[in-house]
Amino acid sequence: MSTLDFLLDGFAVAFQWQNILFAFVGVIIGTAVGVLPGIGPMSGVALLIPVTATLTSGLPAEAAAASSIILLAGVYYGAMYGGSTTSILLNTPGESSSVVTTLDGYQMAKQGRAGSALSIAAIGSFAAGIVSLIGLVLLAEPLSNIAIKFGPAEYFSLMLLGLCAVSGLAGKSMTKALIMTIFGLLLGTIGIDAVSGIARFTYDLPILYSGLEFLTIAVGLFALGEVFKTILERDKEDGAIAKIERILPTKQDLKDSAKPIVRGSLLGFFIGVLPGAGATLASFFSYIAEKKFSKHPEKFGKGAIEGVAGPESANNAASGGAMIPLLTLGIPGSGTTAILMGALIMYNIQPGPLLFEDHPDVAWGLIASMFIGNLMLLVLNMPLVKVFAKIIQTPKKYLLPIIVAISFFGVYAVQYTTFDLYLLLACGVIGYLLSKNDYPVAPLVLALVLGPMIENNMRRALTISNSDFSIFLTRPLSLAFIIVAAAWLLIPLLLKLKGRSVIVNDEE
Amino acid sequence: MSKTFDRFASIAFLLIGLLFVIESRSISVSSYGSTVGPNIFPMALGAILILLSIRLLFETTKYKPEDGSKEPLQYMKFIIIFVSAAVYAAVLEPLGYVISTFIFLMIAFQTMERGKWISTIIIAGVFSFGVYYFFAEFLGGSLPGFPQF
Repeated sequence: MSTLDFLLDGFAVAFQWQNILFAFVGVIIGTAVGVLPGIGPMSGVALLIPVTATLTSGLPAEAAAASSIILLAGVYYGAMYGGSTTSILLNTPGESSSVVTTLDGYQMAKQGRAGSALSIAAIGSFAAGIVSLIGLVLLAEPLSNIAIKFGPAEYFSLMLLGLCAVSGLAGKSMTKALIMTIFGLLLGTIGIDAVSGIARFTYDLPILYSGLEFLTIAVGLFALGEVFKTILERDKEDGAIAKIERILPTKQDLKDSAKPIVRGSLLGFFIGVLPGAGATLASFFSYIAEKKFSKHPEKFGKGAIEGVAGPESANNAASGGAMIPLLTLGIPGSGTTAILMGALIMYNIQPGPLLFEDHPDVAWGLIASMFIGNLMLLVLNMPLVKVFAKIIQTPKKYLLPIIVAISFFGVYAVQYTTFDLYLLLACGVIGYLLSKNDYPVAPLVLALVLGPMIENNMRRALTISNSDFSIFLTRPLSLAFIIVAAAWLLIPLLLKLKGRSVIVNDEE
Repeated sequence: MSKTFDRFASIAFLLIGLLFVIESRSISVSSYGSTVGPNIFPMALGAILILLSIRLLFETTKYKPEDGSKEPLQYMKFIIIFVSAAVYAAVLEPLGYVISTFIFLMIAFQTMERGKWISTIIIAGVFSFGVYYFFAEFLGGSLPGFPQF
């Protein structure tokens, strides 16, 4: 069967009525998550896992997995659309990947061009979504064919590369980022060792045998950490929300933003494919690139539509691109994709090269539904942008306690233990303290998910080689991954030594 | 960047690393085909963590003195909400989801801002009943709804 046949089969899955509904609910919630400051795509996806698990409980395992992942992915890319709304209207980004949109978007809103900015952001996001999906369709097959030849040594090195990439770019201090990564890996070793069946660091507490649940830790560190931060630090009164007058962009606006959208989409896609470099970095790079390409760089920061179109396309393309390493290699490149991966594993579906062979319905159904979801988002965002703008006005005094309550519900409904609720609260405090002091928490969550996989592959590789560590260096692909991983850590260090400023990635 | 926090954190991580190294020595060695047993990975990671925290401790000595302009933190609000969340976790099973959530939300809403009792009661009530009925009754999920007598 060719790729096209698979894609058509995928559309057959995606067009089942319940999956259309799931995609629809996903993108709506995603947009709301993107609009609400304080709840990012990562906590949004994590909190919805128990709800989707229950919603799909009546379906056969594979169909249930397809439906849930369709909804959860919808939240992920929907948040990329929603994030621009607050950036433009309020000058406060709804999530980190829309930070640069505030620079020109808010200026446009002040000039009464809020509607154009919002619709260009939606159109750009849509174009970028389609571009990244086409890339995903084209790359899925060849990449899985390469990945299928990987042995444990290659997998180990590749995951090492993923972790190094995330740590090398995250936060202001690489030492802190590395500490978080190692700490995450260590937390991942708690529980029964999958290879030998020996309990490690459990101290005979039955609750620890299955290890610390990454869902609890992720929700605690991100969602609760953010809530505690807002409670503790006196929230500044939000400025007035800009009025939206006309929604459709003018012809001139469309003409000005066509090229930035194309450039942003391509750039964002390739950045998204790289592990560790996510949507935030993509939007930054796109903004810098647009400023360089522009004939009037002085307009940037004063309401240039290119400064909205490029970055907004780039962050959406990056979120599509980030699905590639997740689906084809089974390696999440960011916090949010790590959670999506956790959701797939919950359904006993292992992302990776075999995914496309073993579960074509899940893989292609998801890809096809992302086409539909992006179309829905475009249709929804244009006329409904005023409705979504209303969500911003949800008062914080109601929003914050409700986020706490939703986190409790989400964790309890999956784990059924009070222990996880205490762990959740503890992680909330730790998450607040860590991110306040520039310790990036995304590498911790990613390391927690990847940890057991890294260890298993390492030990399997060492079993093959009779405990000879040189196996990681003698296999060419594995060596290449390790060299790239080392470069990822060393190059920013060298740049810093030379006094160059390094762009950091504050990704959720 | 806070010098005190980073110092404290680097020592904490140092101890955590040390703990993992020491504790992994007591993991029994497996008979599984390789000499690389379940203890190697955590032990190596613990060692790396120790090295990294020493490096962080070293880095803190190079920090510039901080400027003392800090916003006062709202500790009272936070402590009330945190404690009530901890109590919420403790009573969730015995009291059931609906009642415990309702009480928690009432306390938290009123802590955030006093007054407006009617809207507080309505929102807390709609949320706690709504989530329970939607999840447990409509979707068939399992959640302890009310106290069991």
